[in-house]
Amino acid sequence: MVNPSLLIGLPLAFAFSIPLFGLVSKRIGKYIPIVTLLINVVISFMLIPQILKNPIVVSIGGWSPPFCINLVVGPLGIFLATLISGIGFLVSIYAVSYIKEEPTEKYHILFLLLMVGAIGIVLTGDIFNLFVFFEILCISSYALVAYYKDKEGTEAAMKYLIQGSVGSSFILIGVALLYGFFGTLNMADIASRITSANPTYLFVTLAFLITGFGIEAAIFPLNAWLPDAHSSAPSSISAILSGIAIKTGVYGVARMVYTMFNANSILLFIAFLGLLTLLIGEMCAFRQDDIKRLLAYSSIGQIGLITFALGIATSLGVFASLFQIVSHTLAKALLFLAAGYMIYRVGSKSIASLSGLGKKMPLTSFAFTIGSFSLIGLPPFAGFVSKLSIVYAAIQVKKPIFLAFIAIALIATIIEAGYFFKIVQNLYFKKGKNLDKITETSGYILIPIIILAILIIAIGVHPQFITGLLKESAKELLERAGYVGWVLGGT
Amino acid sequence: MRTRKIVSIIILLIIAGGFMITFSQIPFGKDKINVANYYISRGIEETGAVNIVTSVVLNYRGFDTLGEVTVLFIAAIGLGAVLFVEKRVQKHTSDNKEDKAKRASLILRTGSNLLFPLILLFGAYIFIHGHLTPGGGFQGGAVVASGFLLIYLAFPKQSINKKSSSVAESLGGLIFIGIGLLGLIFSGYFLSNFLPKGIPNTLFSAGIIPIIYIAVGFKVGFDLTGIIDDLLGRSK
Amino acid sequence: MNLIYNWMYYISSGGLILIGMYIVLVKTNLIKIIIGLHFIDTGINILLICIGYVKGRTAPIFSTSGINPTNVVDPVPQALVLTAIVIGVAVLALALSIAIKVYEHNKTLNVSKIKRLKW
Repeated sequence: MVNPSLLIGLPLAFAFSIPLFGLVSKRIGKYIPIVTLLINVVISFMLIPQILKNPIVVSIGGWSPPFCINLVVGPLGIFLATLISGIGFLVSIYAVSYIKEEPTEKYHILFLLLMVGAIGIVLTGDIFNLFVFFEILCISSYALVAYYKDKEGTEAAMKYLIQGSVGSSFILIGVALLYGFFGTLNMADIASRITSANPTYLFVTLAFLITGFGIEAAIFPLNAWLPDAHSSAPSSISAILSGIAIKTGVYGVARMVYTMFNANSILLFIAFLGLLTLLIGEMCAFRQDDIKRLLAYSSIGQIGLITFALGIATSLGVFASLFQIVSHTLAKALLFLAAGYMIYRVGSKSIASLSGLGKKMPLTSFAFTIGSFSLIGLPPFAGFVSKLSIVYAAIQVKKPIFLAFIAIALIATIIEAGYFFKIVQNLYFKKGKNLDKITETSGYILIPIIILAILIIAIGVHPQFITGLLKESAKELLERAGYVGWVLGGT
Repeated sequence: MRTRKIVSIIILLIIAGGFMITFSQIPFGKDKINVANYYISRGIEETGAVNIVTSVVLNYRGFDTLGEVTVLFIAAIGLGAVLFVEKRVQKHTSDNKEDKAKRASLILRTGSNLLFPLILLFGAYIFIHGHLTPGGGFQGGAVVASGFLLIYLAFPKQSINKKSSSVAESLGGLIFIGIGLLGLIFSGYFLSNFLPKGIPNTLFSAGIIPIIYIAVGFKVGFDLTGIIDDLLGRSK
Repeated sequence: MNLIYNWMYYISSGGLILIGMYIVLVKTNLIKIIIGLHFIDTGINILLICIGYVKGRTAPIFSTSGINPTNVVDPVPQALVLTAIVIGVAVLALALSIAIKVYEHNKTLNVSKIKRLKW
């Protein structure tokens, strides 16, 4: 029986030791994140069957909750930890030969610490610990966005830093207000006492917390930093930011609203905000000419869709939202990795310069097509199953306003199909200019792209691989008495 | 510009209203200690440290301190990555006239020669006695870094050895995590206090707490010195 | 007098947070915005310490014999503030280094003149 605190402890130990390995040889540092994240993926897979029977509550230091910090590894936690470790492992293989600009050793240290922050956020059960791991994630991503020290990179990093830092301060104000009233910092303890407080007080605290997490999750109107940051970062970092960092913001909002505060009346407002984000993201993406900026706006739109599905407070709604998280993470990581490789070979970021690459880089273009079709929602890819579940969940609610919401979501999907078809048409059916020297040669870059494409097709054809785990995770979010019982009742 | 000011003031008024609603529900100075009663009443016998804040920081909530050490490490590494300059570009245009003009005054040079060892001693005292008096690893490390800053101000051509400073940073962090993993092996819980607790109020007490604080003190001192060195752009 | 004594710490911490947010939203010099971020952090730290105070009690260090467990203030907010101060310093250091690079590329610190940094 493996202790889940190794999921956080081992990568942290390896990250601190990379400079020491760097003294011996300059080339070892590139391979350490791959080894560490592979160990993480193996441990997570080994823990899944056991957690589906009985969730594990690990206390750090040996005292009993609520007098200690504890890790609550339930189905939702282990599902997100496996997803994060898996995507991190694939992107770190890509980064071995993609990152050429000095100082590469520091890139790998920062990357591994970003992963540690993300895994810590989804596994912890204590709100101040959540804030500390959230800061680890945010600060590593500020430094990584500024990694290419050119004009756009530094400006995007500055904008991201100012807005992200204000967001973290709001979260800390929320934590201070919660401690001031309840006297404890344990999430399950606060959840069991939440009814003893004044509703206005809880409303103000919840507003601060949702604003703070919303800045990281890029919900409208707090998403001004995202297009610049995701398009000026190195492509492997754009894949991680779009795939993992904004999902932890959505996880934070879900934990606060569902488990701790039990605020069912605010869910309709969250669904409405999600829909607004979806429309604005897709409409802005349609007008872009720079491909990475287009993918960044598309991320904003998809986060709006995930938040909208989260606002449907039924078990099928939350299940659909978690499925959409899986399909968007796989597809968007694939799109950013493939686009990064194409930009690196061609030398320019505009869509017009990608014409004709279908013949010269067949594997990459085919993978790009698979990713974009999955994002639109065509069968037999993973995106089809997730979008169908969202539509079913909204129809099941039987309120007329949700039918109007579904109509708007379908209009946004049509806009999305419009710009992705334009890109695919450019890749395959237009002629390119001076493309003679372009080939696909590097194995390190192609392997993650191919594995991601295979995963998208596998989950689309046979979703039974993950539906069992996702159903249990949705149940964990909706039934808060179960969560409180695991921690305080003594498992 | 006018519209931006008006919109900002409206947002700030809403936030101020939120503050007024919530602060009135937390009476100032009233006894509302809840979970901390456990820490105060059982702190000495369970951890052996008479400074209850230290036992909370390193024992009951040690995971937060691990995260904080990591954040400082990220800041130092991120700064090194952002301000990195290729070695060939940085040419040394050193002529003697410039050096003479930048030389610091006699008072500063003599004073820092005298004070530097005393400041280091004071910082070391603070982080070794973290479990007996107010203080600890972070405070002591900051004092040590201010001693190095004094040397940087007084002698414009001195700088620390970057390689050994980064080795000290990594070792500090590794010792902290190593003790945590040893706790996992010995008693099944990450970061548990597995060394003997000793007699309270003496120097050799409180199990793993002094060892971790010494490692943290070294690490913070060299982290902050490395940050100052990167910002001044001085080491070779 | 008692009323002012009870509220002056909360008013000062809330005031610092609001002043910091005004600076971040309105001012156009990059260094002033970074200082505004630091004001917000300082205000929140003062708020956290005020929450842990109990009237008439002393520091939680049992080094002399006169202090017993019913006589001390809350130690947990002090531990939280230790962590929050260090995180604030780390963000400040990173912000200043990125500001140095922005100045090297654009030769100005006025955020309305840098091309896309205009919110």
